[in-house]
Amino acid sequence: MENHFFLDAGIPPQAPPLHFGSSLSDWQSLPSAMEMEMEIQSQDCFPTGYGLRYESAMVSSPPASNCNMSSESLMMRKLTGNSGEIPHHSQPMLAASSCYGTPMNSPPQLNLPLPRPVALDSSVADFSADPGFAERAAKFSCFGSRSFNGRTTQFGPKDSVEIAAYRSNPLAPNAKLPRVSSSPAIKQRVAQVGGTNNRSELAISQEESTVSEQNPEPGFKGSNSRKRKAVPKAKTKETSPSPSPNASKVTEPNGASNEKRCKLSESNANENGSGKSEEDAKGSSTRALEPSQDYVHVRARRGQATDSHSLAERVRREKISERMKLLQDLVPGCNKVTGKALMLDEIINYVQSLQRQVEFLSMKLASVNTRLDFNVESLMSKDTFQSNTQQQQQIFPINSSAASAFLGHQSQQNPPLHSNIANGTMTQCSVDHLDTAICPKLNQFLETVSQYPTFCEGDLETLVQMGFGQNQSQEMALHSQNFQGLNQVSGMKVEL
Amino acid sequence: MDSQLLNPTSLKSRFTARFLRALTKINAPNPISSSSPTPREIFQRYRRIKVAADKSMAYSVRSRTTWSRATLSRLRTRSRHRRLASFGPRSSVTTAAVLKKTSSHGKENEGGLGVQAGELRELVPGGEAMDLCNLLDETAHYIKCLTTQVQVMKTIANLYSLE
Repeated sequence: MENHFFLDAGIPPQAPPLHFGSSLSDWQSLPSAMEMEMEIQSQDCFPTGYGLRYESAMVSSPPASNCNMSSESLMMRKLTGNSGEIPHHSQPMLAASSCYGTPMNSPPQLNLPLPRPVALDSSVADFSADPGFAERAAKFSCFGSRSFNGRTTQFGPKDSVEIAAYRSNPLAPNAKLPRVSSSPAIKQRVAQVGGTNNRSELAISQEESTVSEQNPEPGFKGSNSRKRKAVPKAKTKETSPSPSPNASKVTEPNGASNEKRCKLSESNANENGSGKSEEDAKGSSTRALEPSQDYVHVRARRGQATDSHSLAERVRREKISERMKLLQDLVPGCNKVTGKALMLDEIINYVQSLQRQVEFLSMKLASVNTRLDFNVESLMSKDTFQSNTQQQQQIFPINSSAASAFLGHQSQQNPPLHSNIANGTMTQCSVDHLDTAICPKLNQFLETVSQYPTFCEGDLETLVQMGFGQNQSQEMALHSQNFQGLNQVSGMKVEL
Repeated sequence: MDSQLLNPTSLKSRFTARFLRALTKINAPNPISSSSPTPREIFQRYRRIKVAADKSMAYSVRSRTTWSRATLSRLRTRSRHRRLASFGPRSSVTTAAVLKKTSSHGKENEGGLGVQAGELRELVPGGEAMDLCNLLDETAHYIKCLTTQVQVMKTIANLYSLE
């Protein structure tokens, strides 16, 4: 189908590649390789003096061009800058555009992402005069060979009528473009351009989905990739005064036409767009995770199916991957694991181990505190367990009593605890046996628990140190004994 | 370490308060002077403590998450089941039926993760009725609460064992 474009122009499809070698040397001075490639292409197809003009225009624009920009947007910008010179070269335009038709035939040879759009703007002014150009321009500007495959010639002899029809009815999707309706959008642009010759409007309309990135600043694209919205042609004038503030929140007044609008830039082809609903929901674009919106706005990705089911699927997949990333932060040791299945396995293991730990600890509590008349209320009132420091303060009398129990000292603070403590020490030993006897899976627990940092020694040492800082010297001896006692205890604990 | 007081309304403090209260209730009936408890007693106490831990964690979370609601309803069903043996099966049957109805719709878009998702659903309470997306959310919150629980219980156990 693309061949017959060239037949229209009467230029053999294989002609342009022959010019490559000659044009290469002229472009070596260009800064970016991309520009070089594109300009080689353009020069290749502009054998006349227009090519020189083009070259000058392009050479002047490299500083303005952003390497981040996609090829076609870059070319579009250049061409818009160049468009002032277009009317002088109407005839070469034919050759140019037709030359540019050829790269479509042999994209692998050229190794260009989008060689086609180069000729677009140059022939913009001639669209009204040459319907074939409008058609080709529409195809060229639309993002690559894939989109081309779905297209047929839509512009007939009644271009102006069609264009007017499109202009008036931007929402009507072209029946011949089942997948991507960017060409109607482009037709609208073309119509507007042909009708008004408004450069600014053209720039905005041409770069509608890149307008947010390119017009305000080149770097805006990266940040805005998720929230890009196409500015519908019918409302370019509304959005033109404020493309940048609305760039991230461009609304979609024409929901139906925007449903199938594909992203302009290839560099963003791999980025995720926010989800979009079928209904005409006017509102600020949101991330998929923000629950404030009723609808989630999705942009159909380039080269992918645009029906609602696949869009919704993609939104779901993105949500799931985001949550997996969050879980990756929660679960320790998940950074090295790649892939959803492995990560889910890790998560499952972690949850299982946590649950087992809870069971083990509850068993431990059940066995340990049989003897202890713990002064729980005092702990609770002072919010003991919120921080280790507080625990240290509270635990102090208990530690002293525990240590004294261990070392046989008498403690005045908690006399009733004496017998308990004495029994407690015994029960501690017996607890070990009980634990292993009652629950054989405790051994498993120990293994799992040992994987994770235990509370024992480090915290106990800090406890004691804090106590040292706070207490009188007469208790210092006790503290030191406490320390040893605690270490013994912690050692026992670890063995458990 | 600084001596700053952590948020008194945080999950950790709420859980700790409740759990300690439950512990005292569980430990209260035991006479201190009794000899070493029989394994059976310890096992019963273990179960009670485990239930208390889950319950206090679920109550601390209130009903903000699906798993907490599922845990609470499960606990209530079990307690009701024990008290009124004749009426127990009905409630469990109804909940199971409800879960079956809702679970079929949400599991469409798991991709190749069906096996793991099923396992996760078994682990996380109330996970049967959720699609993968929500399941992952619930899992994240559940993991956070479990780690808090483990931390607090470890501290308590160490305190107890020190005496």
